[in-house]
Amino acid sequence: MTATATTTKHDFEPKLVAFVCTWCTYAGADLAGTSRMQYPSNVRVVKFPCTGRIDPVFILRAFQKGADGVLVSGCHPGDCHYMAGNFHARRRFAAFRQLLDFVGVDLKRLQFSWVSAAEGGKWVEVVTELTERVREMGPMREFIDLDASEHWSAELADAELKAAYHSL
Amino acid sequence: MTQGQQTESTPLVDPACYAAATAAIRAEAVRLLEAGEVTAVVGYRAGRRAGSAMPEVATTAEAAAQLIFTPGCQNNLALFLSKAKREALPKGKVAVVVKGCDLRALAGLIGESQLKRDEVHVIGVACPGVYGAGADLAKPLAAESLARKCRECKVHLPEGTDVVAGTLPPLPDLAPLEAEELARLEAMTPQERWAFWTEQFARCIRCLACRQVCPFCFCTQCLCDRNRPQAVDTSPRPAGNTAWHIVRAMHLAGRCAGCAECERVCPMDIPLNLLNRKMAQELFELYGFETTMQPQEQGALTSYRDGDDQSFIK
Repeated sequence: MTATATTTKHDFEPKLVAFVCTWCTYAGADLAGTSRMQYPSNVRVVKFPCTGRIDPVFILRAFQKGADGVLVSGCHPGDCHYMAGNFHARRRFAAFRQLLDFVGVDLKRLQFSWVSAAEGGKWVEVVTELTERVREMGPMREFIDLDASEHWSAELADAELKAAYHSL
Repeated sequence: MTQGQQTESTPLVDPACYAAATAAIRAEAVRLLEAGEVTAVVGYRAGRRAGSAMPEVATTAEAAAQLIFTPGCQNNLALFLSKAKREALPKGKVAVVVKGCDLRALAGLIGESQLKRDEVHVIGVACPGVYGAGADLAKPLAAESLARKCRECKVHLPEGTDVVAGTLPPLPDLAPLEAEELARLEAMTPQERWAFWTEQFARCIRCLACRQVCPFCFCTQCLCDRNRPQAVDTSPRPAGNTAWHIVRAMHLAGRCAGCAECERVCPMDIPLNLLNRKMAQELFELYGFETTMQPQEQGALTSYRDGDDQSFIK
């Protein structure tokens, strides 16, 4: 290993999920790869036909299954392979963001971007920025804690209930 | 709580206006059925408990003469007119009794091609308001027992119906409790909001009454019932509950008519209409979209403009 290739050790490596459209951002990420650009390996890319295919429920599922940050990326407006998929996605995600914010999810963990097939550099920039931002924020605990918490309608009043609860 | 505060509160409006609406609905329903203009009238009849009402599909003039309109008429009857649920009604043209909020739902269903306007005879009701969930039905409607949605209702008088039953009495100005609650939540930090909603959703028992009662939840297979792939956990535990309520609010965004039936039927008293209100408010601010009493060609999330806001997209 040469001196320039030293790697930085971090305490926390965030897990990022990127939902990308196959025509623009996936090709852009591919370009970044073939151009040998370096970017954090924290991101897991999931390819979709179009941003219009990316259901808000995917983002929710990603958070629930342990993603610390989510990136959604597709073609610039006007460049959609299917003419209008990204226009519809733009409205849907604008609404979904507001809903997540209202429920109390920190929107800094959710990034949307337009990355074209020619913008390998922008892909690197977007991924690096989100990774560093989420790294600073630390792990996403909210959904994981929900998953771990049990549904208790009863007050933990007596010793037997308490013992049962804590043995879980 | 002291006994003194529990004295009967003043009736909100003169009960005679409900009686007038009842008479008008009966006359219209009997006329329609006798003339054979419709095969059925979907309306309300008295429930078994005093003051309560339940949906009724009247197919004869005798049954139509039993239809009522009281503050107990909470149900949104537009529910019966989606493609899937219309199978429960007789074939042919039907008449339906709708309040202003129900009319918005009906217009939404027409806009989504669930039915055509000429397949239904709309009997609108000038509605001063209905009971909220848990109200004492034996007492006359008062400000305390009024549904939260009715306190800030803008559609007391339906527009664009075939007939309007009754006339609207003068209504008092009431504090908009729901708008205040919404503003209170919006002023919180995200962590406080998360704590608030986690507590609310943790109570959910996933009876899915909110889905069954919603006129717009007419999918033959709900995304949340599917398990290949499973998008939302089906067990009534906090993680799946949160996902369900987020998905529900998202699927109703730009469609919800604000009838607040979901909130009324919720056995765990989760303030679901706050989520619906929030989405409606956001879509109005972002795209100037509002649900109306007239069918609209396109919804907020089924259309787009080139210049839509994209300041959140890098």
